[in-house]
Parts: sequence; structure tokens; C-alpha cells
Amino acid sequence: MHNHVRELRGEQSWSQADLAERLDVSRQTVNAIETGKYDPSLPLAFRIAKLFGRPIESIFIPGEE
Amino acid sequence: MRAVHKRYLREFIPAMSAYVLLILLYGVLMPRMEGMPWRVVLALLPLLPVAMVIRAIVRVIRDQDELERRIDLEAIAIAAMTTGFGYFSFGFLLNADIGLEIAPASIAIWVMPCLFASFGVAKLLVARRYRSHA
Repeated sequence: MHNHVRELRGEQSWSQADLAERLDVSRQTVNAIETGKYDPSLPLAFRIAKLFGRPIESIFIPGEE
Repeated sequence: MRAVHKRYLREFIPAMSAYVLLILLYGVLMPRMEGMPWRVVLALLPLLPVAMVIRAIVRVIRDQDELERRIDLEAIAIAAMTTGFGYFSFGFLLNADIGLEIAPASIAIWVMPCLFASFGVAKLLVARRYRSHA
């Protein structure tokens, strides 16, 4: 799965640590999501979407399996 | 450090300190202790702080974020299998009577340290899969 989390975080001028704090996760988790090493659960994906005020499908794009 | 990990250290450090003290007490008192009930109490006393360590580990695994939990649970699964396989293999070698002479108490006592050590190594390896320098 691809995502636009890094770009959206950049638009807010947040560091990974800032985003991690807002989502109540570790910086390691934010980094793993941004680099595509880890796909978040649905509840966490919804929290990310809510934080950026965007629909979930505009942030997370299914990749080719 | 996140609050969940601060709480873990607040629970883990006193429990481990109590364990070290009780092990020292065990080493000093056990050779002099003669009554059976007191020997049993002295032998089981260090397990109380170990139970508190296990509680702290369970609580941190339950309350950390989903990726941290995933890494820990994968590492615990690998550590359990590695330790089990190691002890299983060791059991076969002991049964083969090839000259290994180890006290049964030593074998049993090392199960938990082996489990924790293999968990530590497994966690490093599993965490690397989710790490990126990008």
C-alpha cells in the first residue's frame, strides 16, 4: 500500500516526532508507515485521515499485490 | 520516551532490583538453612519479583502502539520456538548419553534467561524489518 503521509506531514511542517505525538504512537511507527514498511490498522489509518482532515482513500492507495 | 515505556521502567527496575537482592539473600542463607519449609520459602521468594517483571512486560506489550506490539509478539514467538527447539535438542543429546553431565536444576533455571536472551536478539532482527533510513 502507498500513502501520502510524508507529504501531508510536510505540509504541516511537522516532524515525525510531532506527528507521532499527535497520533499517540512511536516515531518508529510513523517512519515505518511513511516508508511503506508497515501498513497501519484501519483504526490508525482513520485517525491519520481525521488528523489531516482528508478522506482515508486520498491518503492510502492500494498497491499492486 | 513515551508514557507507556516510562511506566514500564517504573515497574521493571524495582522488580529486577528486588530480584537481585533476593537472589543474593538466597545465595547467603540457603547453605545455612535446614528446615524444609524455610528452604521452600527461600527458593520461591525470588519468583515474586520475576512475576512482577512478567506483569510489567505484559502491560507494556498490551499498551504500546500497534507496530511495537507486533514487533514484540513476533519476537516472543521466535524466542519461544528457538528456546523450545534448543531445549528439545538438548534433551535428545542428554538422552543419547554422550557424556554431558549437567545438574537438572541448572537446566531448568536457565530456561527463562534463554527465553529473555533469545527475545532480545529476535526483537533486534524483527525491528530491522520495519526500520528505514529514508
